[in-house]
Amino acid sequence: MTDWTIEGLAAAIRERKISPVEVTRECLERIERRDAQLRAFITVDAEGALATAKTLEAEAMAGRWRGDLHGVPLAFKDLCHIGGLPTSCGTRTREYFVAERDCTAVSRLTAAGAVTLGKLNMTELAMGPFGDNAHHGDVQNPWRAGHVSGGSSSGSGAAVAAGLALGALGSDTGGSIRLPAACCGIVGLKPTYGRVSRAGAMALSWSNDHIGPMARTVRDAALMLRVIAGRDAHDATSSPRSVPDYLAGIDGGIAGVRVAVAENFFFQGVDPEIAGGVQEALRVLAGLGARVEEIRVPDPQPMNDACNVISRCEGAAVHSRLCRERPEQLQPVVRARIELGFRIPAHDYLQALRLRARLTRAFVREVFAATDALVVPVIPEPAPAIAQATAGEPREVARRQGNFSRLTRPFNGFGLPALAVPCGFSRGGLPLAFQVVGRPFAEATVFRIGRAYEQSAGWHLRRPPG
Amino acid sequence: MSDSQQQPVELANLAAAIERAAADLSLAEEPSRFILALEEGAGEEEQP
Repeated sequence: MTDWTIEGLAAAIRERKISPVEVTRECLERIERRDAQLRAFITVDAEGALATAKTLEAEAMAGRWRGDLHGVPLAFKDLCHIGGLPTSCGTRTREYFVAERDCTAVSRLTAAGAVTLGKLNMTELAMGPFGDNAHHGDVQNPWRAGHVSGGSSSGSGAAVAAGLALGALGSDTGGSIRLPAACCGIVGLKPTYGRVSRAGAMALSWSNDHIGPMARTVRDAALMLRVIAGRDAHDATSSPRSVPDYLAGIDGGIAGVRVAVAENFFFQGVDPEIAGGVQEALRVLAGLGARVEEIRVPDPQPMNDACNVISRCEGAAVHSRLCRERPEQLQPVVRARIELGFRIPAHDYLQALRLRARLTRAFVREVFAATDALVVPVIPEPAPAIAQATAGEPREVARRQGNFSRLTRPFNGFGLPALAVPCGFSRGGLPLAFQVVGRPFAEATVFRIGRAYEQSAGWHLRRPPG
Repeated sequence: MSDSQQQPVELANLAAAIERAAADLSLAEEPSRFILALEEGAGEEEQP
């Protein structure tokens, strides 16, 4: 199971070399064996998964195929509403979030034949980049127990890296797909704002939330995006743009593609092993024919500040009832974050929204006039020890959280597509990663660069122990 | 300094950062122009 890709497994099922029931059972057995230690799942739906797999198997035997994911077992962050399963959003409340209808992204994947294994662990209310959770257990890094998995889509990162699921959905408000992907050594895409519907998923910050795929390979992430992207009547912010076939040109190579590396901001204070890994990845890209050059980008810090204000205000609005009625149920750092949001003046929130529009226009114009994609680190250091990351007073933890997500958060504000790609390991055996950032709706370009690197470097073929 | 004492400081820092950056915003600037920035910034490759 740990060697299959989504694409490979879907093809094997179609050729009847393996059955949906067989692979679903194998995933459930791996979950049973590994998850007491990893803590990647909040809810495992063994019964539902096997029932779906049996139906899909019967359909396959009759020559009926639902789509590209027929029989492929996936799992979803526990903020996606799925009828019949509880959605805790990482809180102590088992059924914290209920939507009018199932999460659109999940529905599109299951309509294409995916089997739902269950709901994945996450940081409480998606507030925090380390994957610690006092209610459901701290998600462990599959490469090294005791180290963070990254968050907030912590269970998604760990489950895919450990081969408990072939792919997963995450959500990203300040880096919550890319951080766990980077920490766990898998691929994660935060799409362009509006590319994927957020309907049926808990909001943390409407202005900064994105839903996206997490998988072991770039091709698998592209395949998942092709299924979930596109206009949805239930999310007014979803874009009416047509969805390209992200797999069509993905192996076309990158000869002549202009790749820029930011000389300011993104390497300041970054661990030398991370910086070295990204620089080495740039040399690989240059060797593949990319035209790599250093550029100075408009300072991303004002966008980080604007995102902080926007996310705190919107998060406080969404979760005010929980915070006011049952504050004792929230982890102290989550509670402090929401309470700060209550106190930000409306004036500052609105100024931050206005500012975001101007900053985005300037960044897109300036950066993408000169290049096709930007390559920068995802995490400032290899996944730290959980005890070290979460120790101390809430304000100290919050400062550490902000520092850990400072390289990803600007792209939530800019709304740009950003793909986290593994690029080696630290001396301590923890994954390194870079992100490829493209112009709006240029996911195809971002995938093409990530795929060319991945094929050449081969890090995606490594597996964590167990 | 306790967390309750620290919060106003953090709040003030955030507000000051926004005020500084937003000081010269055009009167015509409004939040929905963010979506326009994405649409205008999209390349031809991904046009419908």
